[in-house]
Amino acid sequence: MAACSRRAGGVLSSVRILRNLQHQDERLFSTSLARHAASSGGQPPKFVPPTKPVIKSQSQASLRKFLSPEFIPPRQRTNPIKFAIERKDMIRRCKVLNIPEFYVGSILSVTMSDPHAAGKTNRFVGICIQRSGKGLGATFILRNVVDGQGVEICYELYSPRIRSIEVLKLEKRLDDNLMYLRDALPDYSTFDFEMKPVHISPNQDVPVNPLKVKMKPRPWSKRWDRPKFNIKGIRFDLYVTPEQMEHAQKWAQPWQEYDMLKEYDTSALEEKIYQEVQAELRK
Amino acid sequence: MTARTCTCILRLGGSLLSGARGTVHTVYRHPGARASVAGFQCIRTIKNSTWWDEHLTEDNAQFMRRSVSEEYKQLTSDRLNPLKDEPWPRHEWVEQSRRVGLVALKLGMMPIWTKSGDRHVVTMVQVLDCHVIKHIPKEEYDGRTAALVVGGKNISPFHKADETLEIFRNAGVPPKQKLTTFRVTDNAVIKPGTPLYAAHFRPGQYVDVTAKTIGKGFQGVMKRWGFSGQPASHGQTKTHRRPGSLGPGGDPAKVFKGTKMPGRMGNVYNTEFGLKVWRVNTKDNILYVNGSVPGHRNCLVKVRDTILPQRLEKNRNPPFPTFFADGEEELPEDLYDENVFQFVEPIPE
Repeated sequence: MAACSRRAGGVLSSVRILRNLQHQDERLFSTSLARHAASSGGQPPKFVPPTKPVIKSQSQASLRKFLSPEFIPPRQRTNPIKFAIERKDMIRRCKVLNIPEFYVGSILSVTMSDPHAAGKTNRFVGICIQRSGKGLGATFILRNVVDGQGVEICYELYSPRIRSIEVLKLEKRLDDNLMYLRDALPDYSTFDFEMKPVHISPNQDVPVNPLKVKMKPRPWSKRWDRPKFNIKGIRFDLYVTPEQMEHAQKWAQPWQEYDMLKEYDTSALEEKIYQEVQAELRK
Repeated sequence: MTARTCTCILRLGGSLLSGARGTVHTVYRHPGARASVAGFQCIRTIKNSTWWDEHLTEDNAQFMRRSVSEEYKQLTSDRLNPLKDEPWPRHEWVEQSRRVGLVALKLGMMPIWTKSGDRHVVTMVQVLDCHVIKHIPKEEYDGRTAALVVGGKNISPFHKADETLEIFRNAGVPPKQKLTTFRVTDNAVIKPGTPLYAAHFRPGQYVDVTAKTIGKGFQGVMKRWGFSGQPASHGQTKTHRRPGSLGPGGDPAKVFKGTKMPGRMGNVYNTEFGLKVWRVNTKDNILYVNGSVPGHRNCLVKVRDTILPQRLEKNRNPPFPTFFADGEEELPEDLYDENVFQFVEPIPE
């Protein structure tokens, strides 16, 4: 499974890179065309006042092509009508609640309605360490350290209790699952509740934070050095000797990535669902 | 597929006979019987060459498939036309009457939220090509109640015996994969050939769902009966998942019948009682039934009104004897229970 998801992730990322390349090309093409047209006559180019900057809020749709991963059905022998019907409900919910683009590693703030809280709402800020589930049951986990105590909350994306989801910092990390932050030093998962949202341009690529975390002393909750986790975001050189790293390779399953039955190329499916979702949302 | 029959016939006569019958025979000669004049012969008969496989070219088969699918459509649409023949009288619902149920396809599970934000899980079952196939009157069934045979999910008729298809021909509907019998009261009898829809059940009703559970194979007592087993350590020798004692020793001097022991688990019919219907999709004919339902994905389940006496109160005044598509009742695409959160609603406070 791990190999499968890794592969799928690799394929997806490559597809995304391609797409982004196209986007950049388009932009370059459009701006340069205008300049060429201006300077082609031999006369000095006519002054064109720069366009007034438009401050875009988070709610505005970004120009990046993004499909929430829970829209892609898992690979199984279920009747596709089941996923189609679930998708219809998900789109209905998306029209009422803005579910923004975010990834594992992004910092989010979630406001939930809570009948027991003082103001009937409850706000939590944290780093998304995992996204899981498909369809309406999709969830994500936010982690933060509050008063020296690690707190993780698992939110259901489509629960009616969720009032708003806000992305404070949109970025990716080196890994698709940051569960190892539990064993990392608490500084790495401490975030200020009053954090200001960091704005990135909707045309821009999602930045990847190449941060490598320092860990608490071993033993960890899981042996993150084992190849099945394929973790890139840990400073292993501080905690694991090269001999131990080599020893961990004993559990490597390098044949898995050549298993053609485990390949699940979702790019065509993703494109189809993306078109369908966009068409529905525009209605 | 293949059956080995050992016949004692003369070689010459045997080969002649096999030629005359026109079936495919492979002749095995026993090595020891080569010298004898009238020896034993093993004739291996291949029985999988049916009429369909033998006599049809690829074009013919395609044509048959196409024509049959058209015929199915015709049959199904004929059933929707009330003017074709005389409908049976419809009665009003009274206390103690039992309606027919449905045959449905299990699609999978999904979450559903109530208006207060509580999460429940539901199983989606789709009512697929469900028709009443046959009415068995009281005298022929068991003398106490009448019964209705209901079938679901169309199948290909080509690899079925003619006798199997006769019941469907009589009803005038395409052949079905699954047939089930429902005991009904006399006022709930429906004419064979009537299509049944998911709107037969309404949100808020309670249903029983019957299906064959997933087969687990031969399992030990811990998985099959939930025994505790023995500790992993502390001096255990070869005793971790064993049943332990089977009962008292000398006095009964036997193992009582019905003692829980290892054996085949699953693959038996099981019923989940009293499941609430949260939501009904009338367009795709999908029932959203509370909780889990026996059987694997894509298996055919039997859904009926619950028999739990505590829940009968909720099942009063259902569509009786069933929901008719030609009726004057116009239904929205989705019917929800009153507590269900609908995604089109604004966010609740």
